[in-house]
Amino acid sequence: MLISVFVVAISVALFWMAAFTLWWQMHAWRTPEILAATRFDRPDGGVGLSFSLLLPARHEQAVLEHTIERLLQSSHSNFEIIVIVGHDDPETAAVAERSAARDPLRVRVITDTHEVKNKPKALNTALPHCRGDIVGVFDAEDQVHPELLAHVDHAFTSTGADVVQGGVQLINFHSSWYSLRNCLEYFFWFRSRLHLHAQKGFIPLGGNTVFVRTAVLREADGWDPNCLAEDCDLGVRLSSVGKKVVVAYDSDMVTREETPGTLMSLLKQRTRWNQGFLQVYRKKDWKQLPGFGQRWLARYTLMTPFLQAFSGVIIPLNVAIALFLDVPVGVAIVTFLPLITAMVTFVFEIVGLHDFGKQYGLRVRFVHYLKLIVGGPFYQVLLAGAAIRAVWREQRGRNEWELTSHVGAHLTETREEVHR
Amino acid sequence: MTTTLPPAPDTATAPAATKPRPTVPVHVRPVIRFRSSRPDLLLCFGLLAVILLVQGWNITHFPTLSDDEGTYLAQAWAVQQGDGLAHYTYWYDHPPLGWVQIAALTWLPSLIAPETMTVATMRFAMLLVSAACAVLLYVLARRLFLPRWAAALAMLLFGLSPLSVVLQREIFLDNIAVMWMLLAFCLAASPSRHLWHHFAAGLAAATSVLTKETMLVVLPALLVTMWRHSHRDTRKYAVTGAVTACALIGLAYPLFALLNNELFPGPGHVSLIDGITYQMGREGSGSIFDSGSGSHGVFTSWLYYDRVLPLGGLAGAALLLVTLRWSVTARALAGPALAVAILAVVAMRPSGYLPAMYVIQALPFLALVLAGGAASVAHAVLRRPVDRPAAPIQARPRLRGGVPGGAPDQGPQSRSRLGIGVRHVVAGLLALAAAAYVVPSWYDGNRDALTVDANAPYRAAASWMQNEVADPASTRVLVDDALWLDLVHDGFEPGTGAIWFYKADLDPAVTKTMPRGWRDLDYVVSSPTVRRDAVDLPNVKAALEHSKPVAVFGDGEDRIEIRRITGGER
Repeated sequence: MLISVFVVAISVALFWMAAFTLWWQMHAWRTPEILAATRFDRPDGGVGLSFSLLLPARHEQAVLEHTIERLLQSSHSNFEIIVIVGHDDPETAAVAERSAARDPLRVRVITDTHEVKNKPKALNTALPHCRGDIVGVFDAEDQVHPELLAHVDHAFTSTGADVVQGGVQLINFHSSWYSLRNCLEYFFWFRSRLHLHAQKGFIPLGGNTVFVRTAVLREADGWDPNCLAEDCDLGVRLSSVGKKVVVAYDSDMVTREETPGTLMSLLKQRTRWNQGFLQVYRKKDWKQLPGFGQRWLARYTLMTPFLQAFSGVIIPLNVAIALFLDVPVGVAIVTFLPLITAMVTFVFEIVGLHDFGKQYGLRVRFVHYLKLIVGGPFYQVLLAGAAIRAVWREQRGRNEWELTSHVGAHLTETREEVHR
Repeated sequence: MTTTLPPAPDTATAPAATKPRPTVPVHVRPVIRFRSSRPDLLLCFGLLAVILLVQGWNITHFPTLSDDEGTYLAQAWAVQQGDGLAHYTYWYDHPPLGWVQIAALTWLPSLIAPETMTVATMRFAMLLVSAACAVLLYVLARRLFLPRWAAALAMLLFGLSPLSVVLQREIFLDNIAVMWMLLAFCLAASPSRHLWHHFAAGLAAATSVLTKETMLVVLPALLVTMWRHSHRDTRKYAVTGAVTACALIGLAYPLFALLNNELFPGPGHVSLIDGITYQMGREGSGSIFDSGSGSHGVFTSWLYYDRVLPLGGLAGAALLLVTLRWSVTARALAGPALAVAILAVVAMRPSGYLPAMYVIQALPFLALVLAGGAASVAHAVLRRPVDRPAAPIQARPRLRGGVPGGAPDQGPQSRSRLGIGVRHVVAGLLALAAAAYVVPSWYDGNRDALTVDANAPYRAAASWMQNEVADPASTRVLVDDALWLDLVHDGFEPGTGAIWFYKADLDPAVTKTMPRGWRDLDYVVSSPTVRRDAVDLPNVKAALEHSKPVAVFGDGEDRIEIRRITGGER
């Protein structure tokens, strides 16, 4: 009897958790009207705002020049690029200086002299030097679409937003089984879920292709230098005080990125994010949110990695109990509820992969669908591992950045391997 | 405050008044919001009152109580009692969801007054189902872009055809399954084209199939409807979601069997596979085209009650399927027309079992396509330009899903006032002719339904058993399912005292309690069903032979005899 009650309670809780996650994950496809509204509005041609684009680079000499060149090709006429390099990284600094020499009006180099370096510190170093109305953040390996700035400009002027978040998409789904799932995670997050967060008024921002009005950013004292997920934190702080955030996603205008090169670096990256989410949760900025539902969404979103880890362990256990222990048939049926939502999620992921292939003109083969399904449980294990690792590290007070290496698999040119 | 970008200009729900540009295909879609449309609400609920009056009046007296109604209600009673899915061993004859729902529907009255849990009384519960079906049909008709008058016509055809009145009054699983399937169609044709509406359509469809498994054949028609009513950009998510939902819920039934260790056949227990094998291997009732066959008999019994809905509906479906290319109405109603076509083909298969209630699942679709056919004809008579008959669609801007009866007039100069007058006269004459044909026959059919008392013998038999049997608790009676609950309320022991007559031969658990066959019984209540089936049931046959009538109610074929066993030692 006790086992039955326990199993039913766990199953029902897991069912609702998975159902909510699924509901939010599918937000953009709820109706054709919602889907149409997730895109950038077409700009009317006018240039209203000026941009300062921040480009923190650390040991990125191989990709940096290309990124800067591509940014300079932007159709927008009023922007500056601020490259932030470390005082201990002469190779990257040399590349940056070379670019600045070629186009001194639009490219500047700022040197970050912090003893222990991380991304928020670099960004904060550059913030006082920004001359534009809008601060935009990119990573050194990003491929940015030339039309993006014009669209973002239009989004700011037509909606009066304080923050505009553009889409970021991992592209190299063919690299490995986990990169396939990683790409799909990004697809569902930027294509769909983030729009829901914008609508609900609580949004963890992405790490790049994010644009904030300079005044708003200065008022908020920039980024939190001690937070491992400074992007998420900024979004939470800004939306908690009622700043207006707009999200737009166009498949031809997303910033293309690559998945981490090894499973270990993916694990490290995920650990950092999870730890960052934990820190944001404990900072309690989200408690200022006015709505009860908003606070719950915040609580739930920031806890997601841990709930995910938990459910990954519990679902198989639950089914095993139903099959092998002597529980009433009704109870056994209830234990299958979480499995049902998991399967619905699976199916939507398959459809999502198909849609992803269509939108990006990529050929998705049968073997990729197979990898997606077979890899599912293993990816779950990876996520669970990262969640546990994050809790452990946070408990022991280990806050240093474990950086992610980039191999340039999303670029068409071949590149030497670089690490940052 | 945060928000997403303002919605892109919405071509999909652009007001119908927008001038269509020839280069951009504008998808004109009048969105019907049933709940906020006062004329629709008034019309629908006005008609509903009439339908409920006709279906509810005299419901306990007509038609004759059927054995199947008794079976389902008795099993619902067993569910209410907490005796599992049936008071005899549940043997996977049908998925149990149907009578679980009946149990829920009748739960409150049976709690307040347990003795009302009899077939005749509980037919009132079916009025709720009928009402839900009728409203859903109206909503569906509107969502499939039928004009208001045609939606009302569909609802009337569905609710007032004498065939519907007879069948929808009875406690049949099919009626409940139809309700869920109509809900699924309504959700599939949801004007907001919401992902979760389509998902819910899959859930409702699965519920329908688990209520009555024959609904399975209608699923392709549901899929067509969903496909047509979803948007290109979100379709793949919507349709796969619906299919997944339907499949996963449907799989709950085999899962249930598996968890009971009753999925596969084995010695000493029932199984789902056995149940399916039995249903698939049921002796065929012949072809409906063979005038001597059982299927033909069933078919003619439908036509006895009403020819308009079955035959007119078939004609309507044929008309719509043939004119699919030219008619907007036909395209909007492709799903229901396909449902009619599939059900017709299944009914016409050369050999197979055709139960009398088979037609129930076709009724809403027949009504829809008949009304749609009428709308199509009305449109052709009233609006279609006469001077350009060859290319009517190409000549007009694409109006996919526009109001069929009210498509904008494109050739004003081609018609004089006289022409319009003639068209109206023709339409009026057609309507009059149709009414002149339908009203008298429906009047006759429904007069029977409202006045005839076909169940007097049953009531008399029930009351005899209640008053004349001295010690019900230790008396053993063979009885048909329709009377069984009456006896249970009188104090007979359910299962072994009041015995479903065929269980005396077919259920080992019951046979075991009567080692000396008919000698272990006291009475047989011999109804037409008992006499018909006794041919194949040795124990029942012996009991009939070794008994004498002590009371007879009614006469002829339909009489009910209460026979006391003679020569037994009890």
